[in-house]
Amino acid sequence: MPAGHQQTSQAGVLSRPWGTIGVFLLPSLIIYAAFTAYPALRTIWNSFHRVLPRADEAVGLANYAELMRDDIFWRSVRNTITWACTSPLIEVSLALLLALALYAKVPGARFFRIAWFTPVLMSYVVVGILWLWIYNFDWGPVNVALRALGLGSWAKAWLGDPKTALPSLIFVTSWMWVGFNMVVLLAALHSLPREVLEAAELDNCGWGGKLAYVILPLLRATLLNLVVLSFIGKMKIFDLVWITTKGNPLWATETVSTYVYKRAFEWTTFDLGYPSTIAALWFVIVLAAVLTLTWIFRLREKLEY
Amino acid sequence: MPSNKSLTLITTAAMAALLAGRAEAQQLKELTFWSHWAAEMPKRTFVEEAIKQFEAKNPGIKIKQTWYEKTALYAGLKTALRAGQAPDIFYAEPDQVEYMENGFLLDLSDLNWSAVEPWAKEAWSYKGKPYGLPLEAWTVELYYNKKTMAELGIAIPDNLQLAPDAFLDMIKKAKAKGITPMALGVGDRPYPGAHLVHEALIKKLGIDDYGSLMRGKLAWSDPRVVDTLKWLAGLTEAGLLPTTFTTLKLAEAHIYFHTNPGALTFLNGSWYTSRAFNPPDKGGQPKDFPLGIMKFPSVPGAVCNECRSIAIGGSYVGNAATKHAKEVMAFFNSFASFEMGNRWLDNVQVQTGIKSDPAKLTGPQAADYFKMIAATNAGAKYYFGIPIQVMTGKPKEVFIQVMNNAFPAGTISVEDAVKQMTAAY
Repeated sequence: MPAGHQQTSQAGVLSRPWGTIGVFLLPSLIIYAAFTAYPALRTIWNSFHRVLPRADEAVGLANYAELMRDDIFWRSVRNTITWACTSPLIEVSLALLLALALYAKVPGARFFRIAWFTPVLMSYVVVGILWLWIYNFDWGPVNVALRALGLGSWAKAWLGDPKTALPSLIFVTSWMWVGFNMVVLLAALHSLPREVLEAAELDNCGWGGKLAYVILPLLRATLLNLVVLSFIGKMKIFDLVWITTKGNPLWATETVSTYVYKRAFEWTTFDLGYPSTIAALWFVIVLAAVLTLTWIFRLREKLEY
Repeated sequence: MPSNKSLTLITTAAMAALLAGRAEAQQLKELTFWSHWAAEMPKRTFVEEAIKQFEAKNPGIKIKQTWYEKTALYAGLKTALRAGQAPDIFYAEPDQVEYMENGFLLDLSDLNWSAVEPWAKEAWSYKGKPYGLPLEAWTVELYYNKKTMAELGIAIPDNLQLAPDAFLDMIKKAKAKGITPMALGVGDRPYPGAHLVHEALIKKLGIDDYGSLMRGKLAWSDPRVVDTLKWLAGLTEAGLLPTTFTTLKLAEAHIYFHTNPGALTFLNGSWYTSRAFNPPDKGGQPKDFPLGIMKFPSVPGAVCNECRSIAIGGSYVGNAATKHAKEVMAFFNSFASFEMGNRWLDNVQVQTGIKSDPAKLTGPQAADYFKMIAATNAGAKYYFGIPIQVMTGKPKEVFIQVMNNAFPAGTISVEDAVKQMTAAY
């Protein structure tokens, strides 16, 4: 670098208005420290203590040791991971199909775009109540349809049976979020470079080929982002479970978030140490999973290109 | 322009008014009050009227009321107590031992306990001191539709208790006619399904051994427990419960029993009245509904078929950190009288821990209802509290999942249910 340029650059750094920068940064730093950093650090600190209203008592790793033996916690981990691993795949693959259908301008595309997107506009509370009705054993549309088709023996209390409760809820979140994923993918499809698609057509590339070798690689970043977002969302899922099953039956739908809430507010104790231990450990697991996913996707990207 | 004299007069008057206002403000003590029962009008009305009466008798005290639903109240209280922002008086139930363990409750030793049933005081006692005003008490009752029962040709014996075979026969007859034998649902409560289990176990084991089971001193694998669970499994396999049992909510179960589609019986707390005696358009039972109450059936091989549970429900407690302990105590004492006990029975039509005399009830509906309750409770031996009030921690959580939900629903075998309960301790 020429000496003159270096001097100018150094002078630029020196002349930066640090005071003004500080004034602009300070409010957001304070908010971040107060509402994100401090609660997170405090939760980790709590996890090594018995946190009672009038006294905290250091317990070392006792909470973590108890957590390792807590079979309800491990069930909730299993359920949450099952949800977080299956739901993104269902949501994103269905969303891709729907987005392609709309991109290909199927008849009634405008109507379908609104209809498929609508569920995401509803709150989990509304969705939960709605699906409680849909899954009702006696008069819910699912069982009514099965009986009408002569499949009455398949009718069941979908949310009341430990075998079907979790898949039924996974289906609900997929139904809810497919529309959102579809809209994002549709926007991504519309922003694909036309010349690349036209070049593929000139090379006599059919729909399947174009999809596999042109569209999907170009959409890869969007698809991966959607998968990661969905994964994180399902790792934290709470509202839908609380409205519909509260973790029942037999913890078949217990998630880590519902278990943390139960331990913090529904068990006959004021101790926040143990729930904080669950939250702290889960935070580490989610963070590790997201970092791993990001690393894998980056690695594949490097290999690809 | 006013003269100097009139200006002095006006100023003096204004200052006097200001000082009087300040003095009044200083004398007026405001007690904050948070309560469940926002939507249970008979109970809420009873308490609101009691507050009005108390304020009229104590002009220096004002009660600032906030009404909640239970879940929201409990969550709010946990945070408020920890932050030192809890109200002076609040709703609680005796199973919330964490309040007492952490010293949050005002010692109510100075209450007029002579007006309170001793067992109700006992339910609220912790380390020798009483902490709650036990307003609501209840027993688990087996309600039935007299007309349907008669149409099925089932006669309720004079002692109001069906024998095990007769109860099974009742289930079969109801099922054969397409009638659900018992309305019950656990969609939003951790205890209705467990009523089946604890009312059967208390009879089979007797008060002492049942108490040992609740405290984890008697194994769930005890042959008597296993036998009872097998008997219950036989009843549920015969179709005792609605197909929607796991998702049916408490309010829906009431309607299921008395209105749509209608069930033969309904196992519920004696606070059935707080919903069912509302007008029909507000979820109450139809006018002239042929309500009957019988005892829970006798259990094969039981040592105490007259044994049953009695529980203290909604109560009021004082905040240990209140600055108005004397006023709080005065407020509680305003409830502690025979007159208030009877007024509760008359208006709310649920039992109470305050001493009362059902024979003196004036309302015809209340009088009839309490006659039936008195008949099913004649000669009863009580165990105080239902399991979720007695258990804590993991055993309680497992009991809710297994004995309230999965076992009555038939999604878990007797062996697995016993295994889960054993592992919980």
